[in-house]
Amino acid sequence: MATKKRPRENAGDSMSGRRAFLASAGVGLSAATAGCLREFRSAVNRTHLEQLSVSITTQPADGDRQAIQIARRLADNLEAVGIDVSVPLRSREEFLRDILINHDFDIYVGRHPGASDPDFLYETLHSRYGEEAGWQNPFGYANTAVDDLLETQRTADGDERQEAVDGLLEAVAAEQPFVPICRPTDVRLVRTDRFDGWRADSLSTRLGYLDVERVGEANRLRGTVIDARVSKNLNPISAEYRGKDPLLDLLYDSLATREHDGTLIPWLATDWDWDGDDLLVSLRRGHTFHDGEPVTADDVAFTYRFLEDTSLGSSDVPAPTPRYRGAVAAVDSVDVEGDHELRIRLNTGEAVAQRVLTVPILPRHRWEPRAEQATVRGVRIAKGTTEALITDNVPPVGSGPFEFGDRAEREHLTLERFPDHFTARDDVSLPAASVDRLRAQIDPRSPSAISLIETGDSDITISPLEAYVYDDLEESEVKRVLETPSETFYHVGFNTRSAPFANPYVRRAVARLIDKAWLVETVFEGVAEPLATPVPDEWIPDSLAFDGVDPGVPFFGDDGDLDVSDARAAFESAGYRYDGDKLVVRE
Amino acid sequence: MLVEVLTRLALIVAVMVVLGVGVFAGRQRLVRTVREWPGRVKAIAPITIVLVSVLLFNSVARQAVPELSWLIRKDITWAIYETEGDLILWLQAQATPEVTAYFSFIYIYGYVFALIFPVVIYFLLPNTRPLRELFTAYTLNYTLGLACYVVIIAYGPRNLEPELIQALLYDTYPQYQHLTRQVNRNTNVFPSLHTSLAATVAFQAYRTRKVYFGWYLLSIPLALSVALSTMYLGIHWAIDVLAGIVLGWIAVVLAARLVGRWSIYEAFDDAGGLEAMPGGRRLRSLFGRQ
Repeated sequence: MATKKRPRENAGDSMSGRRAFLASAGVGLSAATAGCLREFRSAVNRTHLEQLSVSITTQPADGDRQAIQIARRLADNLEAVGIDVSVPLRSREEFLRDILINHDFDIYVGRHPGASDPDFLYETLHSRYGEEAGWQNPFGYANTAVDDLLETQRTADGDERQEAVDGLLEAVAAEQPFVPICRPTDVRLVRTDRFDGWRADSLSTRLGYLDVERVGEANRLRGTVIDARVSKNLNPISAEYRGKDPLLDLLYDSLATREHDGTLIPWLATDWDWDGDDLLVSLRRGHTFHDGEPVTADDVAFTYRFLEDTSLGSSDVPAPTPRYRGAVAAVDSVDVEGDHELRIRLNTGEAVAQRVLTVPILPRHRWEPRAEQATVRGVRIAKGTTEALITDNVPPVGSGPFEFGDRAEREHLTLERFPDHFTARDDVSLPAASVDRLRAQIDPRSPSAISLIETGDSDITISPLEAYVYDDLEESEVKRVLETPSETFYHVGFNTRSAPFANPYVRRAVARLIDKAWLVETVFEGVAEPLATPVPDEWIPDSLAFDGVDPGVPFFGDDGDLDVSDARAAFESAGYRYDGDKLVVRE
Repeated sequence: MLVEVLTRLALIVAVMVVLGVGVFAGRQRLVRTVREWPGRVKAIAPITIVLVSVLLFNSVARQAVPELSWLIRKDITWAIYETEGDLILWLQAQATPEVTAYFSFIYIYGYVFALIFPVVIYFLLPNTRPLRELFTAYTLNYTLGLACYVVIIAYGPRNLEPELIQALLYDTYPQYQHLTRQVNRNTNVFPSLHTSLAATVAFQAYRTRKVYFGWYLLSIPLALSVALSTMYLGIHWAIDVLAGIVLGWIAVVLAARLVGRWSIYEAFDDAGGLEAMPGGRRLRSLFGRQ
């Protein structure tokens, strides 16, 4: 990594300096005094100044076509201000492993899964999670004031919470532990001659694939997925293999499910009630997992305990889940009060506590054995790496409306309708699976995904299309373009654990090298919304509204063209020095 | 869709091969082959078995290659880019729809034809040595190429500068995506196996120019077109192509030295040769003639 110390390149120079001194000392030995030697030592034993070099980790175009472009623009601008930059490219899995698990990066450019509630910032930025692996605080960010604000909004409700969130977002925007860039609009292409009634705003969640209207006899839904990871790994808590995955949501149930407007509707739970700080939950009766085992309150209690520490206390080092961390942290304890009754003790306000209900429920009999430390013969594995964190989990056994059918790596994942799902019951009026089979074809490029729609070999592009094909999309009798704002957002993350990005002034200066509005127009073809703060619109305070320019960290320049002298001045006022064109630091 | 693309490919290449045989090989060679084919098949059988095994192993191993490469993590993408700069960008600046159509055709159909056609015309020769050398060279290409792919991670130009360098083939003819992704991984661009195999064919055509002069004349522009097409379509760097030419040359030179050095048939016939090997006596008693 770039910030690691390198062998001193100038060691040779200082040696010759020393030799020259000794030579002269030989001539006039009597002149050499202790004071002279002291000055010599003071001059020689100083570390050299070297050009600052940083790396921007990202994915190649096949992994994330937008991220590589943002990374290269940022690299150009960093080089313009005298910083040496490298841009390591990683595959999807390796990228997430480097960022989320190994924390091996200086800067990264990628997509954050985001959330509909700003409380996701709690796990994202709380200093407590700086050492954990996963989406919890990959930046290693630590700030006591921000920690306090994160905790305050978590226990508050109503107007009080709104105020706390405003304060939090402003503090985070001032500190820039990561730079939110934009929220892309998800664009999908669907056919309407076999299925209709597509709900544009639900297609990144399970609800989008339930209650699809069948036109005629078709009962097999065929879609395309850009990302081959779902054909390799179906572990709902994997950090490296999971993005926004509606297919996993169809395999696993959660207690409640979120409508597109953010409200929760009962799902595996028939209802829930507040009793002080406790949540009383009743489960659906008679429901089973795909292998026929009943879904009980015990499985739900196990799920929360397991996600808190996937080693279940057996490891010296706890191994918490890399996903759903903030939701699980809200749970103090879970009491099983009957086969289908639970009391969940919570440490947050009602608004945040609702997140607890969206965690996928795991069958205890499948996951308890996975609490063991993972082993590979002849290799020492990092402590706290449980089987649960690395398993491919194929075939997955959940309780969702679809069960696993078949898969071929890099080719397809096929799900079959789970006929015993509670949504299929007559007395339950929730969206249910309306097709017998759902086949997700892996198609790594948008143009070929579109051509499959055009030839009638596919009904929907499950993964949103990439920005560069938007211009070519055409609607017709049987083809429709669906657009919906995404929860995910693009961002630039800093490793704040060490210099230079431990310094908020440097982070702010780097943020001002990024022209968000211009990136949206060029890289995203205008089909995205530039952001100054990474929360849904209804949570954005007026002070952080993006109105043409970023209100806190405006770009140094116009239309993507950097004003180099302004940018350099910012680094100088942050305390950095220039040697000619190079920004130099002590190595 | 894949079946459709494959059928089209098979048909078009078959037509090209038949035409080519008519033009370059002639009727007499065909007639003689009809009489002599069993002996020739026997002669090329051992190396064919080796080649087929390597291809089968290759198709299995390629699933594991990315996993191994990411363990080793020797990424040379930026080193390549910094060495050759924007050469590919310049090449694509010359793009017109006709040129794109030509190079897409070459990349898919021309390449498959280049690999299959010499196999057919060398089989029509009474001397099986050129064909045995060709198969040996193919085998070497795949084994050496796979070794490079395991050790080295390199992304192609279109993965680095998607906004500047178009993936012309896949964006213009998306159907080919389904064909090539069966064999290609995006981290395996160094060296270009398309180039190395086409170069192998051209080098071998040079060696057999006395017999098939017409094919020699055709193979040079064909191999050059294949090499250019990989760059023009944004799939490979110029350095991958150079490395591919070197690999093709190594494969042909090695094949010329290796072929005829060991003969499985002679080993069985010649008791001394077989018994000189450890365990040879037992082998001989099992298979050999007394």
